[in-house]
Amino acid sequence: MAILKLHGGKQATCTRRVATVLHELQVPFELIEVDVANGAHKSPEYLKIQPFGQIPYIDDDGFLLYETRAICRYIAAKYPEYGLIPTEPKANALFEQAASVELTNFDPSASKAGLQLWIRKMGYPFPTDDKIIADNLETLEKKLDAYEAILSKQRYLAGETITLADIFHLPYGVFVTYAGSESDSVMNRASRPNVARWYKQLISRPSWLAYLDGVTTTTAY
Amino acid sequence: MVLTLYGLAAPLGGTATVAMTLAEKGIPYTFVSVDLQHGEHKQPEFRKKQPFGLVPALDDDGFVLYESRAICRYLAEKYAGQGPTLIPTELKAKALFEQAAAVEFANFEPHARAAYNEGVLKPHFNLPIDASALNTCISKLSDNLDVYEVILGKQRFLAGDEFTLADLFHVAFGTTLAEAGCDLMTSKGPNVKRWWKEVTSRPAWLSVLNSGIKTTMCEDDAFKSGVSEP
Repeated sequence: MAILKLHGGKQATCTRRVATVLHELQVPFELIEVDVANGAHKSPEYLKIQPFGQIPYIDDDGFLLYETRAICRYIAAKYPEYGLIPTEPKANALFEQAASVELTNFDPSASKAGLQLWIRKMGYPFPTDDKIIADNLETLEKKLDAYEAILSKQRYLAGETITLADIFHLPYGVFVTYAGSESDSVMNRASRPNVARWYKQLISRPSWLAYLDGVTTTTAY
Repeated sequence: MVLTLYGLAAPLGGTATVAMTLAEKGIPYTFVSVDLQHGEHKQPEFRKKQPFGLVPALDDDGFVLYESRAICRYLAEKYAGQGPTLIPTELKAKALFEQAAAVEFANFEPHARAAYNEGVLKPHFNLPIDASALNTCISKLSDNLDVYEVILGKQRFLAGDEFTLADLFHVAFGTTLAEAGCDLMTSKGPNVKRWWKEVTSRPAWLSVLNSGIKTTMCEDDAFKSGVSEP
């Protein structure tokens, strides 16, 4: 049984999301870096595997899968004992609701602002736009008001225990804070104490702390 | 003990997506129209059901759920025993379904929705269309549909050879593209055209278009015809 191979970028945003979940589930994996700088992800060979020319994808003993949330769901389903996707019907429905909230109410603005803020922080030579960052952070602020209402009644987005729906907010949930300071950012405002509480819990998890300097092959836990 | 669907009675967006799933599964429901024009969805009363102030929302005998994709997934699981199997259960088949569902939201929805907002919604409110913005989203959609053309040349539907929610999630916004002046769903290539014709010809979608989104009971013949063959 070959070790799971994660094809992506050491520092790449979505590769980090998958690595965080692999770590949560204690799954050994090998990081195989895709030479994005030289367009490896757009080569005909690569497109046969990931036809949209995006990273990451996984090779799980020959089973190929792309799209980070699909990858994370697949691994979580393989190891149900961790409870990252509840199975009881109503708990599962509330998980799906929370997962859809992340997808439709958080990611669109958080990824647009977060990607640019991450580019700036890493010093990559790509263009960024103050207005795109500002507009998307403004949208995000409003969405997080609804998060505050949800998280004032329960500990995590799908209920009292953490699920993939919470973890999917990484890494962009961290990158959007680069526009603020440690004591005051969009995820950590005095006006939204429950969001701040939930955010701090997320970034304290060993699975997030393990790859602060980038994703690395992990063979033991 | 009936489901109540709250939303917009139009064949587009999240409410229509849920209505199509209800029809696929032959599930009777009560429809309650939310007065979007007068901002009912932003009022505190509605926000108790949907904290983001969006439609649709579902009330299943007191169990309230929002986000159209979550509602559809819940219905597919709860009524797994009737109508077509909309989410596979085997581990790898399910993973490929999740991959296709993720592709819908990452690579189709943003551009289709942007095209709808720019090319259909703006004229509806007598606002001028930004032709450059409209061209940009249609162009991005076109690039991604080139990939769909490849995928659908190898398999019948997006997750494999069976129709799943991943295909269904495209219908309610995809059908608004023509109104925005974009014929990509039929002009991109033979595979996308074949797939698009199949998913939009399903009796469940036709019942949404022809009978509309409204309270339906089992005895309603037009609704019964919505239970498609798997």
